[in-house]
Amino acid sequence: MRAVTLRAPTQGRTWLLVGLSVLLVVLVLFMEALKPLFQFAFPDLQSPLYDRESFLQLTLDHLLLVLVSSVISVSVGVGAGLFVTRRGGREFEPLVSSLAAIGQTFPPAAVLAIVVPLAGFGFVPTIVALTLYGLLPVVQNTIAGLGTVPATTLEAARGTGMSRAQILLRVELPLAMRVIIAGVRVSVIINIGTATIGSTVGAQSLGTPIIAGLVGNNIAYVIQGAVLVGLLAIVTDLFFERLERRFSFGG
Amino acid sequence: MIELQGLTKTYAGKDVVEEVSLRVESGEFGVLIGPSGCGKSTTLRMINRLIPITRGRILLGDEDVTELPPEQLRRRIGYAIQSTGLFPHWTVAENIAVVPGLLKWPKQRIDARIDELLNLFHLDAGEFRHKYPHQLSGGQAQRVGVARALAADPEALLMDEPFGAVDPLTRDVLQNEMLRVHRQTGKTIVFVTHDMDEALKLASRIAILNAGRLVQYDRPIELLTQPADEFVRNFIGKADLGLKLLSRRWVYQYQQSAEILEQPSSFHHDRSSVTHGWEIDDQGRPLCLHGGRLYAEESEQRTRVTHEWSATPDMTMKEALSRMVWFRVMVLPVLDEQERLIGEVAMQGVMGREP
Repeated sequence: MRAVTLRAPTQGRTWLLVGLSVLLVVLVLFMEALKPLFQFAFPDLQSPLYDRESFLQLTLDHLLLVLVSSVISVSVGVGAGLFVTRRGGREFEPLVSSLAAIGQTFPPAAVLAIVVPLAGFGFVPTIVALTLYGLLPVVQNTIAGLGTVPATTLEAARGTGMSRAQILLRVELPLAMRVIIAGVRVSVIINIGTATIGSTVGAQSLGTPIIAGLVGNNIAYVIQGAVLVGLLAIVTDLFFERLERRFSFGG
Repeated sequence: MIELQGLTKTYAGKDVVEEVSLRVESGEFGVLIGPSGCGKSTTLRMINRLIPITRGRILLGDEDVTELPPEQLRRRIGYAIQSTGLFPHWTVAENIAVVPGLLKWPKQRIDARIDELLNLFHLDAGEFRHKYPHQLSGGQAQRVGVARALAADPEALLMDEPFGAVDPLTRDVLQNEMLRVHRQTGKTIVFVTHDMDEALKLASRIAILNAGRLVQYDRPIELLTQPADEFVRNFIGKADLGLKLLSRRWVYQYQQSAEILEQPSSFHHDRSSVTHGWEIDDQGRPLCLHGGRLYAEESEQRTRVTHEWSATPDMTMKEALSRMVWFRVMVLPVLDEQERLIGEVAMQGVMGREP
């Protein structure tokens, strides 16, 4: 698969992506170096740098939450989107769409409140909340993406003698990929932000210093967690933007 | 050869195609035509089973393919549609390679075939192989669409209004090219259109459908001169029947020998028994016509031969007549490929006899 978009206008974005990625890595690894800065900014604080866990550990935990929930969201979401656009599943489209919409209407905090009594504290309830929350954009964009494949292209594909599976894998999915990835992008970005609230139920993430800071009235902790989450979200967004562009084919 | 036997399609208890039987001989250019909703496109799409057949049989060559799995059948029959249906995420080469790829041809054979087909359509292989469909003009894309349909050297080619979405100028060029490709490949073609002029230009046989039934299946000339019923007569169009007839006659059928003037300067209409004569250069190319006008007072005039005011043997008589009318001259020079004078066609010839 070759991308056909022009490279020139994206040059600036590429450097932004590289620069912010480097900044993110440096901050994750060497946050201690900024301790004097935080000390200077918040002279009243006894402990101006969160040090119960390393920021590297917190970031990896955060990424694991996002990764696991996104993999589930994308598999279930794309699967459901494919099912309702096939011949046998078309009647289920309204049902699946509204279920996915309900998943996003529920605030993740409410989902946590429901799931914690059932599944206990920590990783699992957070994954459930994030997965449900991230489902809608994936389902919607999968349906929309497959809907953008022109009828004449499908007719031509059938006319060449491709099987149903070949049409799906070689024509429909590649052509829908840009829109599907746009949905995954939204889902992942939402989950990067939302994963922070997992810390309220004991799932370790970059939300942990934020919650600790809010509870202990330590603004420095809040800033340290929030800056990293923010940067992570922006870097991921820029990455997905590039990925999407690989799948635009003219027009 | 494709033969349809009693082909019927029923939707919700209503026959949209009813007992259509026809046979397109090997190498023939068959055209299905009729008003919107007459079932011509449904009939075509039943041939490669994009639409399931309700009743009837289809023979490809001597083989009954009615029970063949649709995917296998489609790989043996080329299919080209309106607005090309090219895969936008694949290059021209990848698009053409689809069916050979499905048939698991070796890579060198596919590559050679791609070049061969691009050459057939006068598209430079080096330039076009790696282009994407959105980088092509409408006419180029349509050529690639037909090339793709021909890629695996299919036993027949189905075309569903392939030139319906291009501008009239490009359509004319594509039609001429289609005629040439048909001549060169000898493919059996079934072509759907709603444009009678297109049908008359391309077809060796025309099937007229109305309300799901085959009304007449004949050579174009017979369709024009012996319409089966009032519907056919009306569908062909009474207003320009004469011109339509001439669109199926060719200049070579009416061509006669031309009088060459040895001493053009001495040509005078009233002193000579001939009404006109040609002045040629030493390569045999005509320079101008002396005489050849309708009215005597114009007979002294000389008409310079130009590219627009001349004919070739494979030009339709409709076009030749149109040129005579436009230039108000009763006769046209017929030129060969080196633009040498090989004869003439005259208004009297058109009016005087059947070819």
